[in-house]
Amino acid sequence: MSTAATEEITLTRKDFISDQTVRWCPGCGDYSILAQMQRILPETGVAKEKTVFISGIGCSSRFPYYMNTYGIHSIHGRAPALATGLAIANPELSIWVITGDGDGLSIGGNHLLHAIRRNVNLNIVLFNNRIYGLTKGQYSPTSRPGTVTKSSPMGSVEQPLNPIAVALAAEATFVARSIDSHPQHLAAILERTAEHQGASFLEIYQNCVIFNPNEWTELSDRRNRDDSILYLEHGKHMIFGKNRDKGIRLNGFTPEVVSLDEVDLDEVLVHDATSRPLASILGSMEFPDYPAAMGVIRDVRKPDYGGEMMAQVETAQAQRGAGDLNQLYLAADLWTVEEREEAEEREITPVASDLDEMPITGLDEEYIDEMEKPAEALSEFQDLLVTSTLAELEPNVPITIGKRSSLARTIRQMNRHNIGCVVVTDEEDRLVGIFTEWDVLNRVAGLVDDLAQQTITDYMTPDPLTLKSDLPIAQALNLMSIHGFRHLPLVDDSGHPTGIVSFRDVVGYLNEALEED
Amino acid sequence: MTLQNDLKSELVSHLVVSGFSQVAAGTPVRDTLARMRADRQVVCLVVDGDEAAAVRLVGIFTERDVMRKVIDVPGMLDRPVDEVMTPDPITIGPDASAADALRLMDENHVRNLPVVDRSGRLLGIMAHQAIIQFLADRYPVEVLNRPIDPEQFPRKAEGG
Repeated sequence: MSTAATEEITLTRKDFISDQTVRWCPGCGDYSILAQMQRILPETGVAKEKTVFISGIGCSSRFPYYMNTYGIHSIHGRAPALATGLAIANPELSIWVITGDGDGLSIGGNHLLHAIRRNVNLNIVLFNNRIYGLTKGQYSPTSRPGTVTKSSPMGSVEQPLNPIAVALAAEATFVARSIDSHPQHLAAILERTAEHQGASFLEIYQNCVIFNPNEWTELSDRRNRDDSILYLEHGKHMIFGKNRDKGIRLNGFTPEVVSLDEVDLDEVLVHDATSRPLASILGSMEFPDYPAAMGVIRDVRKPDYGGEMMAQVETAQAQRGAGDLNQLYLAADLWTVEEREEAEEREITPVASDLDEMPITGLDEEYIDEMEKPAEALSEFQDLLVTSTLAELEPNVPITIGKRSSLARTIRQMNRHNIGCVVVTDEEDRLVGIFTEWDVLNRVAGLVDDLAQQTITDYMTPDPLTLKSDLPIAQALNLMSIHGFRHLPLVDDSGHPTGIVSFRDVVGYLNEALEED
Repeated sequence: MTLQNDLKSELVSHLVVSGFSQVAAGTPVRDTLARMRADRQVVCLVVDGDEAAAVRLVGIFTERDVMRKVIDVPGMLDRPVDEVMTPDPITIGPDASAADALRLMDENHVRNLPVVDRSGRLLGIMAHQAIIQFLADRYPVEVLNRPIDPEQFPRKAEGG
């Protein structure tokens, strides 16, 4: 779905972060998806107040709370229905539907099919973790046969739904797939999803770290994921593998994996996102029999529901004039219901007041047991990422500069200390900005005549993201990997700078850690 | 498992390396800066020869050089970039391991290693950023799936 950019104001990721506490389990793949969504939305150029997130029920459906946009946490499975109404009532909105494998394919399977079939201008994102997480681990409509869960102790006997095949069955005009653990790919595909006009359907393989943590291991493990994933690009050969030495060939109607050492490139399929039959073939390729197809599987343009319907309304108005709602009401058969003369007084059953005193049963105990189970075979290194704090990096004491300082003085200080980043502080020594080598290159060198006449506040990045030194190293890696920040300032509880952490500090520390063992 | 072990089995060609700007030798510093700003790159490779034909890498110019050699040296903007670049930079091949690349960077105190294949093609810049990206991909549960704001995090485990 796409909506024309209407705002001149440049938004940043921060504009899309709400003030709500995020209540997903630590390590949940939803965090990665949320971070990428907040990163790409400013780039789509759509104003915050024109963006709406609508969800049903489930872990993923908490998404609207965490986005600083309009949002509706709606009825189980009914998000596509609400979204359809909204898209018709206000075609200017950019509407995202956030759903999961249970909410979207079981409880709301019907609604999902019809929103896609009608080609309503929506971005539908289905988080597929193949489990019911919020209700503590029952098999879902995408769970594989044999999956042992609390509701299938001897293994599921059901044939799962394939979300891509479902979307294609409804003739979706845009079908794509990505995975939470591959942020660059996910961001790129989210952008494509946002761009498409009409119903866009994106399936995201998402890790439920508590109830189904091993579902996507082969696809998310950095060491061998390239052998398990076929990255699709329109017009390009379907080649995959860490060494790009395997391809997909069609043998009759059946795709097969071939080695490029043995087969000519001419025989390898070329991806065509406009081909309906090819989309079906790609959708049918299930891992581990085939590599999982990731990327845009189908992308075609067809008239969308809102546009078609509004055109009919305009035609009707041109022919018959604008309607009158009151007249419409009054034109129907009307009747009056007479009051009964001897109305009996109804007895109102009192609400059981002892409800309040009922003991709270141990509903959460099972879940807490799951949470507190020791993590499976966490390597020493993984442990280091989450238990070592930023303080252990022994970050350099930051070189600070007062906010009234000139550019000339700032740059002299940076060169004297041979550093690429200074922290800018106010009168009370609180951090107000950050100024780096990139700012010198980007905004100063060759652009400013008299460095002594310019104040640092006009050139710094104000109000940067900061971290506290008791946070784990992984938190710094998270911000650095998602945003490419090369320096992260550390502050204490009152906002005074206490250190600067750079790419180099983190990599250097991790590289030396555990070495002596 | 240490980071060293991880990085030994990872080739530079499998990392997400950074991009770079490129100018011909003799380009004035002012124009070099403009190119880097337009490309939003912190590293500029200086090459000899026609861009279309095979080019030869003759130097590297980075944001650090802007700080140390350009910003407060009068007249430098109009001099050729050759005077402020680091000539004949250390490079690495795409088939080297990530651990080798990191060691090379540490030993030579450089932050950016141009990645050059056997035919002299410039493929990208190996920097610490590539290792950060690698870690995020390699350990998504620990690194990627973290709260957006660490100050806003449930103190107690709960569903949904």
